[in-house]
Amino acid sequence: MNIIVSALSFTYPSGVEALHGVNLAIAAGEAVAILGENGAGKTTLVKHFNGLLRPTRGTVAVGGWDTREHSVAQMAARAGYVFQNPDDQLFERTVQAEVMFGPHNLGRTAAEAGAAAADALAQVGLAAQSGANPYDLHLSERKLLALAAVLAMHTPVVVLDEPTTGQDARGVARISGIVEALKAEGRTVIAISHDVDFCAEHFDRVVLMAGGLILADGPAADVFARADDLRRADVEPPQLVRLASALGLLGAPLRTEQFVDLLAQARL
Amino acid sequence: MIDIQGLTYTYPASETPALNGIDLTVPEGQLCAVIGANGAGKSTLCYAIAGFVPHFYNGTLTGRVTVAGRDVVATPLAELAGEIGLVFANPFNQITGARFTVREEVAFGLENLGVPRDDMLARVDAALALVGLAGLGDRSPYALSGGQQQRVALASVIVMRPRVLVLDEPTSQLDPVGTREVFETLAGLAQAGGTTVVLVEHKPEWIAVHADRVVVLSAGRVVLDGPPAEVLAAPELSGYGLAPTRYTQAARLAVGRGLAPGDRPLPVTLEQAAPFFTDRVSP
Amino acid sequence: MSAFSLYVDRNSGLNRLNPLTMLALIGFCLVAGLALPGAWAPYAVFLLAILPLAAGGRVLRPFLSAALKIVLPFAVSVTLIQGLFWTGGTPIVHLGPLSLKREGLIFAAQSTGRILAVLGSFLLLALTTRTDALMIALAQHGAPKSLTYIVLATLQIAPRFQAKANTILDAQRARGLEVEGGIGRRVRALIPLTIPLVLGSIVDIEERAIALEARAFSRSGPKTSLLVLRDSHMQRIGRWVLVGGMIAAVILGIVLRR
Ligand SMILES: Nc1ncnc2c1ncn2[C@@H]1O[C@H](COP(=O)(O)OP(=O)(O)OP(=O)(O)O)[C@@H](O)[C@H]1O
Ligand SMILES: Nc1ncnc2c1ncn2[C@@H]1O[C@H](COP(=O)(O)OP(=O)(O)O)[C@@H](O)[C@H]1O
Ligand SMILES: [Mg+2]
Ligand SMILES: [Mg+2]
Repeated sequence: MNIIVSALSFTYPSGVEALHGVNLAIAAGEAVAILGENGAGKTTLVKHFNGLLRPTRGTVAVGGWDTREHSVAQMAARAGYVFQNPDDQLFERTVQAEVMFGPHNLGRTAAEAGAAAADALAQVGLAAQSGANPYDLHLSERKLLALAAVLAMHTPVVVLDEPTTGQDARGVARISGIVEALKAEGRTVIAISHDVDFCAEHFDRVVLMAGGLILADGPAADVFARADDLRRADVEPPQLVRLASALGLLGAPLRTEQFVDLLAQARL
Repeated sequence: MIDIQGLTYTYPASETPALNGIDLTVPEGQLCAVIGANGAGKSTLCYAIAGFVPHFYNGTLTGRVTVAGRDVVATPLAELAGEIGLVFANPFNQITGARFTVREEVAFGLENLGVPRDDMLARVDAALALVGLAGLGDRSPYALSGGQQQRVALASVIVMRPRVLVLDEPTSQLDPVGTREVFETLAGLAQAGGTTVVLVEHKPEWIAVHADRVVVLSAGRVVLDGPPAEVLAAPELSGYGLAPTRYTQAARLAVGRGLAPGDRPLPVTLEQAAPFFTDRVSP
Repeated sequence: MSAFSLYVDRNSGLNRLNPLTMLALIGFCLVAGLALPGAWAPYAVFLLAILPLAAGGRVLRPFLSAALKIVLPFAVSVTLIQGLFWTGGTPIVHLGPLSLKREGLIFAAQSTGRILAVLGSFLLLALTTRTDALMIALAQHGAPKSLTYIVLATLQIAPRFQAKANTILDAQRARGLEVEGGIGRRVRALIPLTIPLVLGSIVDIEERAIALEARAFSRSGPKTSLLVLRDSHMQRIGRWVLVGGMIAAVILGIVLRR
């Protein structure tokens, strides 16, 4: 399902203008990473995809639905959003109830919802904690639970707001696996992240934001090679790109194997 | 500066200890990084150094924790705060709500320490500039993005100039340049200011550059302890649920494919990686 | 609105008053409204003191909207319940098989008046006075830390609840719960909200206690403050006059009730 953002501006009630005329088109099935300085407007932008925020000016449409003409609940069936702060998202008394909440609202039967919940909890590795109270989980686990709660809704668009923060290597690997699985199913995956290495490895397209505007947008290898734009967005190039450029290798390798291949070619 | 002897701690309502026989001595002015999988006990160690364990969380503690010459278990929290600064892992709940603006929120600790107002103004503005919030002093601390809130939390503790600074994942929400700057700032505080820094983080590429020492925790025990170049390149790392830097990963792969000699220590920083890959394998 | 305060900065005369003067003023309204006899005393205080103050502080609109939202449902239900079911009262209005009793209506008017005076006083304080300024002012006059903390926490209960409720509603909408639309929908959405709201608030309180502790809040010794509070000789006199007024109102109440 595609997303079309046209000339989107947004001002918070306190008067802070967080977005100044953003244009962005994301096609169905794309995997897009949004990067940029703290306060760039990334969260503000993606909260428009399910109508949690409504444009001050401009429009946002998901699969042809204008967010101004549909309720958040209706949009939520199309775009699932995993909040940056899991505590803003979790409210149920058990892990199980938390993950069932979404599918239940979308009209799934109890059996379907139960299966979807079990599946999602297994994916994030919380199957054993299904009876626990979310407040008793650790921050990193609550973050995974928030992710599971959205996965269980099987939405065509999945938006992740800084999914890897606070995760150890195993957690990052788990989330990487989930992103790859969503991509393989042809779903649209959008992630905000400051983890450039994670973005380089799993997202084909990178959008750079700063000061409420999009600075650069394109294939990951291209954007990560644009040192000036990265600097303006307070983003460092991925480690392998830095290493390749320090060695004078041509190109921006995104994965370790690519870097080693590049190295091997250069040696020939 | 920090001296921990045989520390074992179990949370109330819990059966297994979160920290199990920790011995750790951190000298004054050292930047000591602590890494470990989720649940390894990193946060609990931070609480124990700052006194929140056992003063706030209760539970059972055996062993000794001495910080700046004080017995942490015997000293009330109120006297430790200010001397030992603690930045918590969750950036979203460290705002006290006792003050209205970002500037006042950052000043709150200094007010409680009784710092004169003139000093306070200068110190607060310096701290805000240090964490890149110079323009946001008059905002409400709640009307901020996640990364901006984390910067407020950091500034609020740094501004108190504690002799011991304990930071639990302080860059988790920061943009990459912000992360680099925080590491540089902490290294500067340790080197020039003599502040003792205990830093829990998941970002090996910056730990490799700035830490004096890396301690690995696993299931409540110290399992590795040494200079970053040694610990971060150790083959056991993945067994503790940790990943080395991409530099180390690439080097390992290159060695495996015969593109680099296998008899040298693997690089953990960009600086070490460049010569590692340019020196060819002799045929 | 910020997430933790009802305060609106209007740069008004009331905004510039020392928080203790505001506190004395509110105290006077409260005492006068409750101590003076007669069902109409609280209304008089509301109309002659609280409302003009709200207007003078340029917060009339948020004041009235919040006051009505709370007092109106209360007034309607207490009037109906007490009016209809007052046992042995004098019927004055007949509604089919039921009738409204005089005594019940008087009781309803009295309790509504009291609620109006109490709520109006607190709302006025919350809308015109910064909680942090009040805390600092109390501390500077030797109030113990626990008291200043209680004042802060109390004045923040309503706005924090509201902020938390909005957060949870957003979380629920974002996972497909329909809460937009008619009143019925909104009310139904509130039901699954109450438990997380209460639990969330408890967690919130504990977390804030930790945050305060980490900033040496409970440390003993002299404190300073960044915020400079204005005070004046006139205001100090005014406060004593208001305290005198409170005592007078109490005495007058006792005398007139005899
Ligand atoms: N609730 C709010 N009220 C007022 N202003 C806000 C609010 N939330 C965010 N802002 C402001 O809007 C701008 C964009 O914030 P946003 O949360 O979208 O940033 P972000 O790119 O997600 O940053 P981060 O990487 O730190 O999460 C910032 O200037 C921020 O201070
Ligand atoms: N408040 C608590 N109550 C009970 N157990 C806890 C609490 N906090 C942490 N633990 C337990 O202590 C261990 C260490 O946790 P923690 O210090 O948070 O690890 P880390 O910070 O390395 O992720 C874990 O097994 C965790 O379940
Ligand atoms: Mg954000
Ligand atoms: Mg932790």
